Amino acid sequence: MENFIISLSLSILITLVLTPVLRKVALAVRLVDKPNQRKVHQSAVPLIGGVAIFIATVLGSFIANSTWNNLDVVKILILGAFVLLVVGVIDDKMNIRASIKLLIQLLLAHYVFTNGILISSFYGVFGIYELPLFLQYILTLLVITGCINAFNLMDGIDGLAAGLAVVALSLFAYLAYSLGNDFLLFLYISLIGSLIGFLRFNLSKKQKIFMGDAGSLFLGYILVVSGIYMIQMAEATAISQLPFTLSVVIGVLALPVIDSLRVYRSRIKNGYSPFKADKSHLHHLVLLLGIQHKYSSLLIVVISLIIVVLNILFGSFFGVTYSLGSVLLFFIIITSILRINQDVKKWREEIRKLEEG
Amino acid sequence: MKKRVAIIGTVGLPANYGGFETLAEHIVENLSQDYDMTVYCSGKRYPKEERKNVYKNAKLKYVPLEANGIQSIFYDTLSILHAIFFSDVLLVLGVAGAWILPFVKLFTNRKIIISIDGIEWKRDKWNILAKWYLFWAEGLAVKYSHIDISDNEAIQDYTAMRYGSLSRIIEYGADHTIKVNPKKADREEYPFLHKPYAFKVCRIEPENNVHNVLQAFSELPNYTLVMVGNWNNSEYGIEVRAKYQQFQNIIMLDPIYDQEKLDLLRGNAFVYIHGHSAGGTNPSLVEAMYLGLPIITYGVSYNKVTTENHALYFKTAEQLKDIVKNVRIHQLEAIGNKMKEVAQRRYTWHLIVQKYKALIVEALSVKEKQNINYNTAEIGYNQLLDMNMGHLKNQEAFYTKR
Repeated sequence: MENFIISLSLSILITLVLTPVLRKVALAVRLVDKPNQRKVHQSAVPLIGGVAIFIATVLGSFIANSTWNNLDVVKILILGAFVLLVVGVIDDKMNIRASIKLLIQLLLAHYVFTNGILISSFYGVFGIYELPLFLQYILTLLVITGCINAFNLMDGIDGLAAGLAVVALSLFAYLAYSLGNDFLLFLYISLIGSLIGFLRFNLSKKQKIFMGDAGSLFLGYILVVSGIYMIQMAEATAISQLPFTLSVVIGVLALPVIDSLRVYRSRIKNGYSPFKADKSHLHHLVLLLGIQHKYSSLLIVVISLIIVVLNILFGSFFGVTYSLGSVLLFFIIITSILRINQDVKKWREEIRKLEEG
Repeated sequence: MKKRVAIIGTVGLPANYGGFETLAEHIVENLSQDYDMTVYCSGKRYPKEERKNVYKNAKLKYVPLEANGIQSIFYDTLSILHAIFFSDVLLVLGVAGAWILPFVKLFTNRKIIISIDGIEWKRDKWNILAKWYLFWAEGLAVKYSHIDISDNEAIQDYTAMRYGSLSRIIEYGADHTIKVNPKKADREEYPFLHKPYAFKVCRIEPENNVHNVLQAFSELPNYTLVMVGNWNNSEYGIEVRAKYQQFQNIIMLDPIYDQEKLDLLRGNAFVYIHGHSAGGTNPSLVEAMYLGLPIITYGVSYNKVTTENHALYFKTAEQLKDIVKNVRIHQLEAIGNKMKEVAQRRYTWHLIVQKYKALIVEALSVKEKQNINYNTAEIGYNQLLDMNMGHLKNQEAFYTKR
């Protein structure tokens, strides 16, 4: 218990100390996000949140945790996260082509799969369980890259990606605790600490920083890969915990994933590339309600929590298919309301022109 | 057997309230010989002892809910649910109950004519949830009706742009207003009748530009303004009344429910000021036009269409002030005559009811809803080119003003 507190406070402390230094470095090497028509901020903001979070997390979890009993997952999680961090920093600095980023993610997912972390079953969705090997491979790669990118897209307004990650990691920490995996537990706790430290700057006006692609890519990676790993753990060692573990893992990843699918779909429908940047994400819709960024983030985090709770409740009463259905329905209702709000704004403007005419 | 028509969405008959109720009264009066009519009324507004089963040959049904505000959703819904069992055509006035229309259209063969009544979701009086609902409900109303009605050309443009629907325009009648000559007693009660005065009657709401009109006249001490409205209903009303009651030339009267008295006051006005900015054709404006009053009105498209661009228009208090100061008497006379001419041509109940009758006849035979697409839109471009008619692909819709 003491170790957890040490780990948490250490990682908070490290980000708080490290960030102002990294901030100056970032401004010196122009690792900054410049404002453009699509962005909501007005001056250049350092993109070093990801680096600070990564360093603080690694130090926090390694110093506090002295038992090294599960190096396999350590290797896979930290190595993958580091690769994505580097890719993200380069991308933040000079924009890598989307296809190359995707290729790197696919290679990482392949590496994860060959190390035995994989989705072997549909767990009863549509009544399907065990999958043939090639489908396991395709599904694992699809889910890992899909979740990484979905989480990357969530990083659009202050505090959102970090807030979602803190909620997800807290639930994951509980899962790791009940599954008895101390390494994961320490990793999650130091990540939570680093994110809290990051939020302190991200939400401030004077010393603002962003996590950048570097941060959102590796956070998404850790969430999805360790999530799959915990599902496997529950399956192998604590089968009675499997439904709950499944519900939590699917629940915390549901909002980013469904929203990214919604955005891709509408872009394709409108004849654009699914990766063309625009202003149609959930957080853009929420901002149109006319509330401040941090409250918009808070609202989305609350929506995500409701999704997790729905998923757990429906999962335990009606099974996994219906719980996914209920989550989807809830999400559709929320986005429909937000779309109505958006259309009201749009047509109010159109009508104003009509009235002038 | 006579076809059965239900009128849904009004407070009820006999008409005591606004435009829809007066409309229902005239429809019933003129069409209940040809059709078996039912009118749904609010039980909250008609106490048990006042209720009638039959009125002017139409059946009355009472729903124990308010017809306005949030309850209108349930009021309209219940009325519609009842009407699908006993009527062939549902004439629905207002969109509050439109959420159920998809089901009505899917599961019954009843014909739905809906009047969308201005652009209700845009009005300041609704909170954000109500606005969202009304915005959504308006879409369902247009999509799942057989015919939709706009009360103004500018609204027709809007429904065409947003839904691609060919909305029919039916306005309101005004020939129930009468010019009343003031008697001695009237002059004693309202001493301002001795001299020329400007007149305005409306709900005291910001969207009716009450503050702008008062501001303009507060700077025009030689011109009398008489304004009738529900001053004590809102903070806004109390505020503006307190601010402007010190001015001798501004007379603010409480609401007048006696039609004859209201006609007396407006009919004898020198000029009528109309400040409504909200969507649609306003009954009070067409009534003033029918009385042959010179009109000075807020310059939105709805009012311009209603007055056929022949009235005087203002946007700000300053502009209104300039108009009042500079306009000549012969000019005002000409405007008044023009307004009278327009109103007699367009705003008589006989004409309005005939338009509704035509829609009922059409609804009973209609299969598909009309849209604004040209018939040539269905022909492929290459086929058009083969016929040397490629230009037909690029037709502009009627709302594209040039």
